[in-house]
Amino acid sequence: MGLKSERIKLGNGIYLNAIKTDKFKSSLLSWYFIRPLKREEVTKNALIPLVLKRGTTKYPNSLEIQKKLEELYGSNLSASINKRGDRQILRFTMEWANGEYLNDNDYNFETIEMLKQIIYNPFTSENGFKKEYVEGEKQVLKRRIQSRINDKRSYAIERCIEEMCKKEKFSISSLGYIEDLDGIDEFNLYEHYKEILETSPIEIFYVGNYDDEFIDYLKTNNSLERENLVSIPEEKIISSVQTKNMIEEEFDINQGKLVLGYRAGIHYEDSLYNGLIIASDILGGGPNSKLFKYVREEASLAYYIGSKVYKYNSIMLIDSGIEFENFQQTIEIVRKQIEDMKLGNFTEADIQVSKRSIRTSTESIKDSIFLISEFFFSQLISMDNRSLEEIILDFEKVTKEEIVQASNKIIPDTIYFMKNKRKEV
Amino acid sequence: MKIQEFLNENIKEKIISAVTDNGLKVFFMPKVGYTKQYAIFSTNYGSIDNTFIPIGSNDQITVPEGIAHFLEHKLFEEPDQNIFDKFSELGANVNAFTNFNQTSYLFNCTDNFYENLELLIHFVQNPYLTDENVDKEKGIIAQEINMYEDNPNWRVFFNCLKTMYINHPVKIDIAGTVESIQTINKELLTTCYDTFYTPSNMALFVIGDLSFDEIMKTVNKIEKTRDKIVEKVEAIFPIEPNVVESKIVVEKMETAIPLFYMGFKDHDLGLHGNEQVKKDSVTNLILEMLFGQSSVFYNELYDEGLIDTNFGSYYTGKKTFGHSLVAGQSIDPDLVFNKIKDLINRPVEEVLKEEDFIRIKKKNLGSFLMGLNSIEFIANNFVDLYFDDFNLLDYLSLIETIEFDELKERFTQHLTVDNLVLSIINPLV
Repeated sequence: MGLKSERIKLGNGIYLNAIKTDKFKSSLLSWYFIRPLKREEVTKNALIPLVLKRGTTKYPNSLEIQKKLEELYGSNLSASINKRGDRQILRFTMEWANGEYLNDNDYNFETIEMLKQIIYNPFTSENGFKKEYVEGEKQVLKRRIQSRINDKRSYAIERCIEEMCKKEKFSISSLGYIEDLDGIDEFNLYEHYKEILETSPIEIFYVGNYDDEFIDYLKTNNSLERENLVSIPEEKIISSVQTKNMIEEEFDINQGKLVLGYRAGIHYEDSLYNGLIIASDILGGGPNSKLFKYVREEASLAYYIGSKVYKYNSIMLIDSGIEFENFQQTIEIVRKQIEDMKLGNFTEADIQVSKRSIRTSTESIKDSIFLISEFFFSQLISMDNRSLEEIILDFEKVTKEEIVQASNKIIPDTIYFMKNKRKEV
Repeated sequence: MKIQEFLNENIKEKIISAVTDNGLKVFFMPKVGYTKQYAIFSTNYGSIDNTFIPIGSNDQITVPEGIAHFLEHKLFEEPDQNIFDKFSELGANVNAFTNFNQTSYLFNCTDNFYENLELLIHFVQNPYLTDENVDKEKGIIAQEINMYEDNPNWRVFFNCLKTMYINHPVKIDIAGTVESIQTINKELLTTCYDTFYTPSNMALFVIGDLSFDEIMKTVNKIEKTRDKIVEKVEAIFPIEPNVVESKIVVEKMETAIPLFYMGFKDHDLGLHGNEQVKKDSVTNLILEMLFGQSSVFYNELYDEGLIDTNFGSYYTGKKTFGHSLVAGQSIDPDLVFNKIKDLINRPVEEVLKEEDFIRIKKKNLGSFLMGLNSIEFIANNFVDLYFDDFNLLDYLSLIETIEFDELKERFTQHLTVDNLVLSIINPLV
């Protein structure tokens, strides 16, 4: 049984997407605001969800908001900021338990109103946000940016992307920049917030059970008439490597973090793109992959090693945690495995395993209310209207030749290595 | 074979169970319309079970730190095939984890479920250990340990436990240390395996749009036959002193903002079943009321810039240990610590309010229902609670029986300065 998204226009650049399912014990509603990924606004965008969660006209502080959410049977409000290619996405989501299990069938309208309060009715004073909230959240954001180092694996990956994509928008951090915080106050942030409401493409997603009356309710309450929308440029994909980079950074750590950045330059609409995904999966997709086998199981060099393709700019990253002195040996093994992919030294069984693994993870989307919403949103921004089933079928069709062809487009660009500061004893 | 069925009308879920001839308990929860299928095969044996009298012996032994986790890695080894490849060929993702009191092996798939289930039971029940493959694993696990060593959130947590416990093995790192794993060998692993991987010490939980008949057919076909049902072996625990006297441990490492964990040691131990889970729930309700995002305490400290949204608290406990943890990051952890001490020293009527209790119970109700969307949530929690002699489906009715007065009593007894320790990780510079 396939999932379908019913798409309804609510105004200029604002759409409601409803996906009907009665499988879950909850419903989910999300607002996605799409912004161009730009250094000038990235830090402000990152602050917005934080400030909006501090207070609304009806619930003037976090305490009141939290109490209300708990009253609504722990309705789960989340707001996030991330990037998809050269776009920055602000997401506001509410998930709430179905009233039929609680003998409280009408509270869902209250929950939806609560989400809208957060998004559209922030606590303001004199044409600005509340000063204390903005200043407080600037500190929170600053600490969050500083704390990226706590997760050394993801920090190393981000650093590799920053260095590798230096000349591309994609290198911009979606969390924003500490040095830009000083220029932000309650007034210019509020101006920017109004700009977001007025000019961003908005996609609203509902996943759950519904009837016509419910859709009418969502329609009539969320129409917005707006004039000029911000243009969201398509990302440019770089397929050649200008300068090869080797970045080393020293920290006080026990384990080295190695990230190898490659360019494939295959656009996600290109027929070779699926071949690239399978190539990356055979190489480092899971515990049956070549890198896992040769780097971990055979050479005992690492606990984790994996490979991942970044869809929108078609780069591939391989990352692993290793002893500092095993740097060269690990790189040699990776190089040899990529060479083998290019030469077609992999079996039909490898391909089948990868296809099955991709099928399993694609089909699994159907069991998560959140992933369903994320999937349809992602399809929208890449202007891809294939269903999950069609995506799986397209992967089934990929041939060995295509995988080899795609592999041959993989070129090394940047090596990032996080190593130990301490001198050997 | 006796089949039992547990039905909960309110949440429209049921669980079917049976015991095999070898003494293995099998549970199944049907999830009609779900695409994913999931099985978890667990033994009630974790990192804390390191002192025991092995089956067939009279002498108590203590095994090296990290051995349960080491064994988890090694069970994936097979003489003639790579187990990861086998699962991959069937389109399944296989994984495993070890915590304080259990080791679990699991897979998820969308197809070929019964073949995957056969594989799971087969590889867990048929260890293949050689001196060579045991040695080879040491490098891999050393890297896993190093990875955790570099994680300040993990370190601040374990420093807290190491300070709180004097003798109890919950203070030991689950994976052991790079040194301790060097002393692990084939013989020791075999001893642990033979003692704790007996069917009566294990449980199999299956969830998805599947058939119980087929599951039992598969289990009965593949399960290793035993001559007799062996009794469960209980590990032996040292005597643990109660008082911890607000001890503080501070360490420096690569991080940006100081991190802290405060722990309240539990002395009300030895419970199981309903009593254990009720104590757990009561304590977590108290913590949510005191430190949750709708608490006055949280909001005051947040407004003062002393804590962030990652501030939080929870209680966790088993038969032989238990603790409440309050954790987060702060520019001034000592000040947060003092404020927490002030809070728990105030009269109970001031800090625990019945209206908050009612509201947070409501929240737990909704959160639990939402949790039932996730087959992983159900399976992992079911097994964890099963080893405490409690059925997950009874959780909501248990919450209903909790009275506000029980919270007041537990607050006074558990959250005291005598029970409290503090662990801090400071930045290097």
